[in-house]
Amino acid sequence: MLENSLGQPPVLAAHGLYRSFGSTTALNGVDLQISLGQSLAIMGPSGSGKSTLLHALAGIELPDAGSIMLNIPGRAPVDIQGLKDKARTRLRRESFGFVFQSGLLIPELTAEENVAMALMINGVPRNAAISSAGAALAELGLAGMEQRRIGQLSGGQQQRVAIARAQVTGAMMVFADEPTGALDSTTGFEVLEILLQCTVGAGKSLVMVTHDPNVAARCDRVVQLQDGQLISDSLHPSATVDGGAQK
Amino acid sequence: MNILHLSWMLGRPAKSRLAPQVLTASAYAMVSAILLIVLGGAYSFTSFESAAQGMYLPLAAFAVVLLVVPLLVLGSAAARLSARSNDRALSSLRLLGATGAQIGLVAVLQAAGTALAGALAGIVLYLLAAPLASLIPFQGAPIGSAIYLPLWVLAIAVVAVVLLSAGSAAAGLRKLVITPLAVATRSTVPTPSWLRAVITLAGILVLYMVFSNMGQFVQSIAAIIAVVVGGFGFGLLVMNLVGPYLVAKVGKAKLRKARTPQELLAARMILESPAESWRQVSGVAMASFVAVVGGSGAALMELTGSELDQGTWLEHVPADVTTGVLVTLAISFICVAASAAISQSASTLDRAELYRGLNRLGMPYETMNAARTKSIMIPALAASIGFAIASTVLVLPLAGAAILLKPLTVITVIVSVLLGLLLVRGAILVADPRKLLATRE
Repeated sequence: MLENSLGQPPVLAAHGLYRSFGSTTALNGVDLQISLGQSLAIMGPSGSGKSTLLHALAGIELPDAGSIMLNIPGRAPVDIQGLKDKARTRLRRESFGFVFQSGLLIPELTAEENVAMALMINGVPRNAAISSAGAALAELGLAGMEQRRIGQLSGGQQQRVAIARAQVTGAMMVFADEPTGALDSTTGFEVLEILLQCTVGAGKSLVMVTHDPNVAARCDRVVQLQDGQLISDSLHPSATVDGGAQK
Repeated sequence: MNILHLSWMLGRPAKSRLAPQVLTASAYAMVSAILLIVLGGAYSFTSFESAAQGMYLPLAAFAVVLLVVPLLVLGSAAARLSARSNDRALSSLRLLGATGAQIGLVAVLQAAGTALAGALAGIVLYLLAAPLASLIPFQGAPIGSAIYLPLWVLAIAVVAVVLLSAGSAAAGLRKLVITPLAVATRSTVPTPSWLRAVITLAGILVLYMVFSNMGQFVQSIAAIIAVVVGGFGFGLLVMNLVGPYLVAKVGKAKLRKARTPQELLAARMILESPAESWRQVSGVAMASFVAVVGGSGAALMELTGSELDQGTWLEHVPADVTTGVLVTLAISFICVAASAAISQSASTLDRAELYRGLNRLGMPYETMNAARTKSIMIPALAASIGFAIASTVLVLPLAGAAILLKPLTVITVIVSVLLGLLLVRGAILVADPRKLLATRE
C-alpha cells in the first residue's frame, strides 16, 4: 500500500475496480488512492463512470471486481468489498458524510432535525443530537433558521443543511455528487467554499464528482474518467504532498 | 395518436409497474365483489313480505352507501398510485407539449381502466364467494340462490365502480403537480382548527340530549332503526370533522416525546398532513364506530324481542341485526385493509427518490419502514380507541350502560378494534420501501 510523506497509508485505496451494466462497462480497472485531508475532484463526460466510481468508493454499490480498503487512523482497516449490505449501510452512516445535488433532505423535518437525524441514527440521544445540530447549522451561517422546514429554505441554504448533516457526525470522509450543480454560480461558489472549509479545512477528505472545471480547480487533485478508465490524475499546483495525490 | 391509445400504451400491464397495478386492480376487485355481495343480499330481501321489506331494505341500502366512501378514498389513492408508477412517462409527455388537462385525462383513463379490470375480476370473485355468502341466514333461512344478481345489475355495478374511480381519480390528481420535469405532490400543511373539536363536542352534546329524551320510543323497532341509522350518519360526519384535529393533537404529543429517529420521523410525517393521515385510517375509526353502534344495537335487539313476535317476521329481527352488524364489520375491515395498502403504496412511491437517497446516506430501510408504519399505526390506534369511546358516549342514552356493558357488545367492540388494527398492520406490509422500490429498479 502506498504511503504519504508522514508514513500514513491512504485513507481510501481502490484497486482494479470493474463494474458493468449489461453490455456497458462503467468502470474498467480503476486504481485510486485518497489521502486524509485531501480534496479530490472526479471529472469526465456523461456516462464516463464518475457517479459509479463515487458510489463504489462510498460502498453504495459494490463493483463486480476489485477491492476497496478504508483505513481511517485509529480504526481497524475495513475491506468495503467484503461487507454485506447492512454492514455497508452502517459504515456509510458512521464513517462517511454525503452531499448530493438534490440535498436529499427530509421535507417533513426542520433544518435542525434533518441534521440531528444523522446523529440519532447513530444512537445519539435526541436532545444532544439537536444541540449539536444547532451548533453545526450556526457554524454554517444558518443560526435562526433551525426550525424552518426544508421547503422554506433557498437552494443554497438547503445545501448548507446537507453539509452540516455530512459533517456533524465527525465523518473523516465526505462524498459529494455535483453539490453545486443545482445552484447559480454565486451561491454555488459560496457552498463550495463552505464544503471545502468543513472537510479539508478540518483535516477530512473530500471526494467530489463535478462537471464544472471551476469547481474542480478548487480541489487539491483532479482525476479524469473516460469510458470507465482513469485517463489523467493531476495535483493542483498549490496542493501539499501530504494532502495531495499519492500516485 | 389519440388519448385512449396513449393511455393504453402507458397503462398496459408492464413488469416495471406490476406491483402497483396488481395492488390497485386487486383492491378494486375486492371492493367490487363486496359491493355485489351486499347488493345480492339486498336483492334477496325483495322476496320478503312487504312489512319486512320496509325494515330490511333501508338497512341494506345503508350498507351499500357505507361502501361508497371507502370506494372514493380507494379511487383517489389508486389514481395517485397510477400517476406515480408512470411518473417518468407523464413528465416526458408534458415535456413533449401535452397539456395538463391531457395528462390528467390519461391518468384518469388509466385509473378507470384499472378499475374496469378490477371490477371484472370482482365479478369472478363475487361468483366464487356467492355460494359461501348464500349460506348467510336472514329471516331464519339461508339467502340461497337469491344472492345471484341479474346481469343488468352486474353491468350497472361495474359501470358505477368505474365512474366512481374515475371521478375520485380526477379529484386525487388535484393533489399532484405533473410538470415537464417531475411528478410532485403539492406541499400544503393544513393545520386543523380547534373549532372542529368545539363543533364536534357541541354536536355530540346536542345529540346526547336528543337521544336522552327519546327513551320512550326505544321499544319501537322503527324508532330503534331511525335512531341507529341517524346516529350512524351523524357519527360519520363527526368522525370526518374531528378526525384530522385528533390526529394532529396525537402527532404533536408524539413529536414532543420522540426519542428515536423513527419516532421523530413518524410524528413529523403525521403532522405533515393530518387530514391525509386521517383519511388513511378513517376506515378503522368507522369500523370502531360500527362495532359500538352495531354491537349495542344487536344486544338491544336481543332484549326487545317479545313473545308476541313469535311466528311473525319480527321473530328473526334480533338475529338478523347481529348478522348484519357482523357482515358490515367484515366489509369495513376489507375496505380499510385495501385503502391502507393502496394509499401506503402510493406514499412509498411518492417518496421513492428520498428513500433511496436516505439509504445511500446510511439510513437503514428498516428505520424508514418503522417510521412509515408508526405514522399509520399511531393515528389508527388513536382513531379506533378515540372513536370507540366517542361512539360509546353517543350510544349511551340510547342503549344505557347495561347494554354497553353486555358481553356481546364489549366482545364485539374489542374484537373489532383489534381485528381492524391487525388488518391495517398487515395491509401496509405491501408498501415496505425496500420491497416495493425493488420492483421498480
